[in-house]
Amino acid sequence: MPITLRLRRRPTVPLEAEVLSPDALADRSLAEIRALTVYHGKRQLPLGEFFDVDVEGERGDDLVLHGELTKVRWIGRAMTRGSVTVHGPVGMHLGAHMAGGRIEVHGMAGDWIGAEMKGGLIHVHGDAGGQIGAAYRGSPRGMTDGTILIDGSAGLEVGMRMRRGTIVIGGPAKSFVGLQMKGGTIVLLGGAELRAGAWMNRGTIISIEPLPILPTFAPATRVNPGFVGLLARYLHPFGIRLPHAPEEGDYRLYSGDFSVPGKGELLVWRPAAEGVASRESVGGGI
Amino acid sequence: MGGKVTCTLGEVKQKADFIVYWGGNPAECHPRHFTKYTIMRKSKFLPNGRKDRTMVLVDIRETKSAKAADVFLQVRPGKDFELLTILRALIKDQPVDNDRIPETGLTRDVLDDLIRRMKAAKFGCMFFGMGLSMTCGKHMNSAALLTLVAELNAFTKFVAMPMRGHGNVTGADVIMRWQTGYPFGITFNRGYPRYNPGEFSTVDVLVRGDCDAAFIIGADPGGTMPQPAIDHLKRIPTIVLDPHITFTSRLARVHITTAPQGIAAPGTAYRMDELPLPLKPALKSPYPTDEDVVRRINAALDAKPFWLPEDGRPRMLTAQV
Repeated sequence: MPITLRLRRRPTVPLEAEVLSPDALADRSLAEIRALTVYHGKRQLPLGEFFDVDVEGERGDDLVLHGELTKVRWIGRAMTRGSVTVHGPVGMHLGAHMAGGRIEVHGMAGDWIGAEMKGGLIHVHGDAGGQIGAAYRGSPRGMTDGTILIDGSAGLEVGMRMRRGTIVIGGPAKSFVGLQMKGGTIVLLGGAELRAGAWMNRGTIISIEPLPILPTFAPATRVNPGFVGLLARYLHPFGIRLPHAPEEGDYRLYSGDFSVPGKGELLVWRPAAEGVASRESVGGGI
Repeated sequence: MGGKVTCTLGEVKQKADFIVYWGGNPAECHPRHFTKYTIMRKSKFLPNGRKDRTMVLVDIRETKSAKAADVFLQVRPGKDFELLTILRALIKDQPVDNDRIPETGLTRDVLDDLIRRMKAAKFGCMFFGMGLSMTCGKHMNSAALLTLVAELNAFTKFVAMPMRGHGNVTGADVIMRWQTGYPFGITFNRGYPRYNPGEFSTVDVLVRGDCDAAFIIGADPGGTMPQPAIDHLKRIPTIVLDPHITFTSRLARVHITTAPQGIAAPGTAYRMDELPLPLKPALKSPYPTDEDVVRRINAALDAKPFWLPEDGRPRMLTAQV
């Protein structure tokens, strides 16, 4: 049975709770869990001060969190196993540095989701902030593996300097998607604002909606790459439909960014005929 | 990732034969800049002064500085990042579609001429202002310019320098940098400095309402910050140290009037090229200096018990997991 944590006292300043991870809680007794340190601003307080902790029956390495956790940061930091399920909005750095396991959020999430993650799955059923799967400031590479799925919109610099892995954004994303990307795949089901793929070195950005293209990208060809079919099959269990059949349409391939100069690719979906494959029928909503 | 290639204004004065002002209006905002450090200056290496130097102005409209410029490039508002990225591609002879260049407000011929001039320069210097760093794209615009300058060093000597504004803003950056390793956006809540602009930078902290007190020295966020940030400053105890009554003082819980730096209080100010200059007071003030006030607050804090628990030494974020 999972360990259930309910937010009892709402933090007034950011609460840094990197202990809210299966690795830190699974092997500890209830009393030990309540005594773990969290940082409320600069104050060190026991976890029990903010959360009611409950375990029913046999312990597993699953965590369920309830409450308004907008100010709670670093949930699931560097976790390697088990799962974290959150009912409510969460704060920054969700699943940063994580190497395995899965995180599910039924609500909104803040910036830096899955920053520099090495593996595992993060699924946010709501809007998210910026710098998803990104590299921290001054760090050479962002996420190196794993999958991040966002049902709603996303903020700035999604996948900044990411190296490998997959990010899927269901709603519209803000500017600088895939900034300085070094590899991996970003799928944009709701399009993006300006400057997608700026300074990208390698990697792939797939957009189902039309995208403003930077002048330093050049149109290359129209394709239906085989890997999109494989990616579509991988994303299918999550309820994401990625169009890839030739009769539905094709992808316009842009390569760049020539300012680096890079070998990245931007794939923008073009339905075969207007009305045949509108947003509702392809890729709409995760 | 970039980084800043820079030098002092003395070197610009002596050697820079190619000067670019990007998103700034030095003729009106830094009126002594031309005559003291850049285009009007004669030097050992540039004996003919203005004739030996080329000046380029990049801005969204023709300001007074355009009259002083040899080349004025009118970039379309919000297209600085695109223009800088195109320039980065062009200096490396990478292909850029000629039809895509006009969306920046300029033409291929103009950019080719600019690149020819930049590469032919012996010592180039780019000054950039708030017209670049505070418009669409923000920090990435500055990053684009700094990267362009770094890459131009493959062809010739090139440096970049921000045109800093009022007072001692450079000083704040420099001091934070040698004390903590980071210029701004730092938190000490775990007992050691951590850096993350966007998370810990003042305006973001205030807009999200992440702090429960504010201590403001020599700044007026009440006059410049967005409304949610000002509303939060009104909600929390805000303490202001300033020689004048500012917008921020009006919404603050406490205002402490201090002696004005350089006029009635001694200290060190940093020029925009990060050169420290001593300030000698000319007048006496009945008010204490900023330093006095902060020292007295620190002494009062020392009398209180330490804020970490008995055994609680600062713990790294990585310590527990």
